[in-house]
Amino acid sequence: MPAGGATGGSVLRGAIRGERRGVIGASFLASTHQVCEALVPVVIGVIIDEAVATGSTGTLLRWLLVLAVLFLVLSSAYRICARITEAAAERAAHALRLELSTRVLDPRGGADADRLPGALTSIATNDARRVGAAAGVLPYGTAALAALALSAVLLLRISVPLGLLVLLGIPPLLWLGHRISRPLERRSETEQDRAAHASGVAADLVAGLRVLKGMGAESAAVARYRGTSQDSLGAALRAARSRAGHEGAVLSLTGVFIALIGLAGAYLAMRGDISVGELVAAVGLAQFLIGPFQLLTYVNAEYAQGRASARRIEEVLASPAAVEPGGATVPEPVAGSIRLSGVSHGALRGLDLDLAPGSLTGVVARDPAVAGALLRCLARESDPEEGSLSLDGVPLTGLDPDALRRLVLVAPHDADLFETSLLDNVRAGTGASPEEIAPALAASAADDVAALLPEGLDTVLAERGRSLSGGQRQRVALARALAADRPVLVLHDPSTAVDTVTESRIAARLREIRRGRTTVLVTTSPALLAVTDRVVVLDGGTVSNEGPHARLVAEDASYRAAVLA
Amino acid sequence: MSTGRDTTAPAAARSTEAQPLSEDVPPRGEERTDPTMSDPAKSPERTLLPTASGAETLAAVRGMLHGQRLLALGAVGVLVAGTGIGLLTAPLLGHIVDLVVEDRGTGSLHLPMVLLVVVALVRGGATALGSSLVARLGETVLAALRERFIERALRLPLERVEEAGSGDLVSRVTGDVSTIAKSVRQALPEFARSTLTILLTLVGLAVLDWRFLLAALLAMPVQWLSVRWYLRRAAPVYAAHRVATGALQHQLLDSMGGVRTVRAFRLNEAHTELVARRSQSAVDLAVRGTRVVTGFFSRLNLAEFIGLSAVLVTGFWLVDRETVSIGTATAAALYFHSLFNPINAALFLIDDAQSAGASLARLVGVSSLAGEPDAEDAPRPVDGTVEVSGLGYSYVSGHPVLEGVDLKVAGGERIALVGASGAGKTTLAKLIAGVHQPSAGTIRLGGTGTGELGPAGIRRAVTLISQEVHVFAGPLAEDLRLARPGATEEELRAALTAVDALDWVGALPEGLDTVVGEGGHRLTVTQAQHLALARLVLADPPIAILDEATADAGSAGARVLEAAALRALEGRTGLLVAHRLPQAATADRVVVLDRGRVVETGTHEQLVAAGGRYAALWTAWSDSRKGGEGSGVVPEQAGAAEPGAAKSGEGRAHSVPAADKSAAGSAASEPEAAKSPSAPAASDPGAAAREPVAAED
Repeated sequence: MPAGGATGGSVLRGAIRGERRGVIGASFLASTHQVCEALVPVVIGVIIDEAVATGSTGTLLRWLLVLAVLFLVLSSAYRICARITEAAAERAAHALRLELSTRVLDPRGGADADRLPGALTSIATNDARRVGAAAGVLPYGTAALAALALSAVLLLRISVPLGLLVLLGIPPLLWLGHRISRPLERRSETEQDRAAHASGVAADLVAGLRVLKGMGAESAAVARYRGTSQDSLGAALRAARSRAGHEGAVLSLTGVFIALIGLAGAYLAMRGDISVGELVAAVGLAQFLIGPFQLLTYVNAEYAQGRASARRIEEVLASPAAVEPGGATVPEPVAGSIRLSGVSHGALRGLDLDLAPGSLTGVVARDPAVAGALLRCLARESDPEEGSLSLDGVPLTGLDPDALRRLVLVAPHDADLFETSLLDNVRAGTGASPEEIAPALAASAADDVAALLPEGLDTVLAERGRSLSGGQRQRVALARALAADRPVLVLHDPSTAVDTVTESRIAARLREIRRGRTTVLVTTSPALLAVTDRVVVLDGGTVSNEGPHARLVAEDASYRAAVLA
Repeated sequence: MSTGRDTTAPAAARSTEAQPLSEDVPPRGEERTDPTMSDPAKSPERTLLPTASGAETLAAVRGMLHGQRLLALGAVGVLVAGTGIGLLTAPLLGHIVDLVVEDRGTGSLHLPMVLLVVVALVRGGATALGSSLVARLGETVLAALRERFIERALRLPLERVEEAGSGDLVSRVTGDVSTIAKSVRQALPEFARSTLTILLTLVGLAVLDWRFLLAALLAMPVQWLSVRWYLRRAAPVYAAHRVATGALQHQLLDSMGGVRTVRAFRLNEAHTELVARRSQSAVDLAVRGTRVVTGFFSRLNLAEFIGLSAVLVTGFWLVDRETVSIGTATAAALYFHSLFNPINAALFLIDDAQSAGASLARLVGVSSLAGEPDAEDAPRPVDGTVEVSGLGYSYVSGHPVLEGVDLKVAGGERIALVGASGAGKTTLAKLIAGVHQPSAGTIRLGGTGTGELGPAGIRRAVTLISQEVHVFAGPLAEDLRLARPGATEEELRAALTAVDALDWVGALPEGLDTVVGEGGHRLTVTQAQHLALARLVLADPPIAILDEATADAGSAGARVLEAAALRALEGRTGLLVAHRLPQAATADRVVVLDRGRVVETGTHEQLVAAGGRYAALWTAWSDSRKGGEGSGVVPEQAGAAEPGAAKSGEGRAHSVPAADKSAAGSAASEPEAAKSPSAPAASDPGAAAREPVAAED
């Protein structure tokens, strides 16, 4: 399916189909509820007509009993229906959320390209909720139609002309209200956005409080906020005026309409066409009917919103995979030899590179785009546009990306830590014991990080490890990469925020802990490069020089500039 | 139309609305305080910011309303008039019924007819005017409230904010302000109208016949019990649901933000499972919330039935006694029927009112805190000298992070602070910048003691740029102008040129006017730090402290920033927390910190010649530059300078994995040893260069 072809229809239909039993049952209950609501004024009319006007106590009691039953049914139907629809909406949203998460986190990738995590999160929460709500709101639409139908029958049975007046009058009434309100609503929306701006700015200023304090800009910030707040106030007032105007207009229109119905009914009653009770019922019904009509409008709006949300969800779900899995396997035992031949991808231009099993290779790329492209290819987040990569002679394109990552770990520079304990972060789902990860912790000097934390390894880190300093985060991320103990490990700038002392210590231990397994360090840090077997310099997307770090430092001026500046 | 009965206000919708998720999350790498994670509730030892008592909150609201008395009276007056006139509809319809019953002829209908139309029009007009007046009142007070809150919040001592956890303040400014705003915009007008309708309808019933009022009031006990029932159950469920949806959002951000890591470590199933678990708990709580809401409305249905029956029976009885006409009885029944929706709405909104009240108390609590004294009359430092003597600081008493630090920095001098993580570099920087108050010792900036300078004076003297970067949302020029309000565009360009950032700023879609920060153009970490340096140039303080300002940018970005930092420091005293030794080498003087003490100071050359700790570091560094044979060896020797490695440091020149393991084991099992300041320092031969007072060991 073409990526632009998502209409959201299938997602929305799927959500409704998944909850169809609830939707059908709730539709019945919601209709019952609406009908009962419609009958309340009718029963009031009957009581006035047959009991109050006649003075018959027996009739009064009988009809009060009917009213009691009516309320019981009405109340129960509402209660059960609301519970069913809400549960259905929540379940549908939950299912979509999981589908989205599975798709985004899928080893084949592709769904996260060009989408910010915040946008994806918003789709998985807000959009999923709206699609669920659209499924949950259908019963109310059905109910509104049922109430309309019943009221129509009742009205027409009271009097055909009066019934027609009501039924034909309400749509133009609502249309008129809508016409009046549309420009107001539109204006109100933009004004509301501006009104909301103040709280956004406030949050932003508080989030940057340390920076503000660092430069003593509190007064400037307060002055700026006051300006924003006053702007927002103006916008909010304009929005409120629009809303109030709309509200008043609708109220006036409705009132005039009811007056018309009352007058018409009174004429008919005076001519003896309808009884007084019927007149009361007709006026009551006219008032009541505005409800179902508004409900229909509401359902329609929810449904439209749900459809737009469903389209966004469908686009994510339908995003093409970044890489397609193959069925090949790498023969055991895995030696860990990596070969790139003629790889062109992004900034890479026909790169040839051989990484011997067990070697420790430094890669210096002055252009971050070159490093990025190389890492993406090695991790098989993308397949190269030209050329091929292989692991122990098996082309990467023939492997399942997930299976490949069992053997090759590419740890990105901005490695994210997760909101769990330091221990869980380091063992990354493997269930390794603290003893088993101890060497990795020591090699990355993350043991010192743990020692400084209140609960040591069991300390729960903040989202993305923000409770740690940059250097501490890097050390924990490095420990995780080392603990995974893959035959091939590719590290990108693992120690940029680590102090020199610690970095030197890490470099030596890194060499030891990775002894015998293939390791690639994509970095310009001389401390790390010094412990490598050889360094490959990438310039213009291809190898421009290679050799031991010491020799390159001695012989290659541009290398010195890149590494030692 | 009823709030609860017809459209259903699902519990989930109510509790999630208060928590909008912005489409954009802060750019990666940009340090942002995160509200939920620093959730104050999770750390009981934190001293939260205060919450005002009910009386204080009321007094604050009264104070704010005081200036708006006329507006308030006008709003109430117009709404009362509008609602009162609207209530004439039912008696007019009743009158029409009477005319029909009495068969007065169609001509008699004209007057009530015209009146009905007039009532409708006046009611609409009055409602429009009244609502807009109520909104004006609410919004004006809200604006005053948020401005006062922000003013106080931004002037709170940073130490106080950090004591409470920055999440406390952030959640007040986002959560509480928007809760109140939502109440003011949505709940307040509806609540005001509903309450008025109810009150005036009851008056109308009494006017028809006082016994109708009594009958209607029979519904009240049930309503009162229902509200109590609802409030007791709803608040905890909503609160739990908010927490659960927050946790879900976090999990999603965590997993989707870290998707590359998730894939690299093959954590996709584990993370999908985490999302499923958080989502399920949010779903369960939403369903529980619905049960509470539906239970509430069912109970209100009972109240409706009781009231309606009572009114009908009263009508029957009064008509029977010929006290009232059938038309009056009809009007009474219709009155009561029309009360269903306003009553439901008003009672349902009590919950909103309650949470708005709680939010208000949290805002007022901060607003009434004493802020730092205003900046204007603070003494000004005469020059850029920094004098630190006997400085000590501990975050936890008994565990000093800094002890007896003496340091004299001449105006214009550039000092590099060097030392391992945890040596106290950042703490020293923060103390000098006035972020923390020293536990012992004194700091003089430009010859004036920090006590005398006050927070505002300190900040005028010192600008601290830390690893934490924040790009303020809005046009880039406005971000810069925070450092110097009213700066001309020329000045801004000059500052950007000074830190070599004008090129990329010029390349932005709209140059200086490009909207950056959250929701705008996303800047890289390097660019954000560039901006921070440009702000430093604009603020133009005599003293600047750069704390690892270049650390997070990756190796390529770091060099660019280092060069920019040097230019930004020109003409002022600079304290540089250096994590790359070449930075230190270019400084006028290097100060080596170890476990909270100054262990060496001197120029780069002096310290290298002295052969002490710094020299060891430098050797390690330059060896890695040369890539010499022993490069694997020296770092371990350098590592010996670190406390954790001190014990096992000797003889580990050719470390083997086993030795590493034992080192890790000891560090993990004896964390206090690693931190203990009493552990003897490694040999310290740099005596010649040492700061005399610091060398007391």
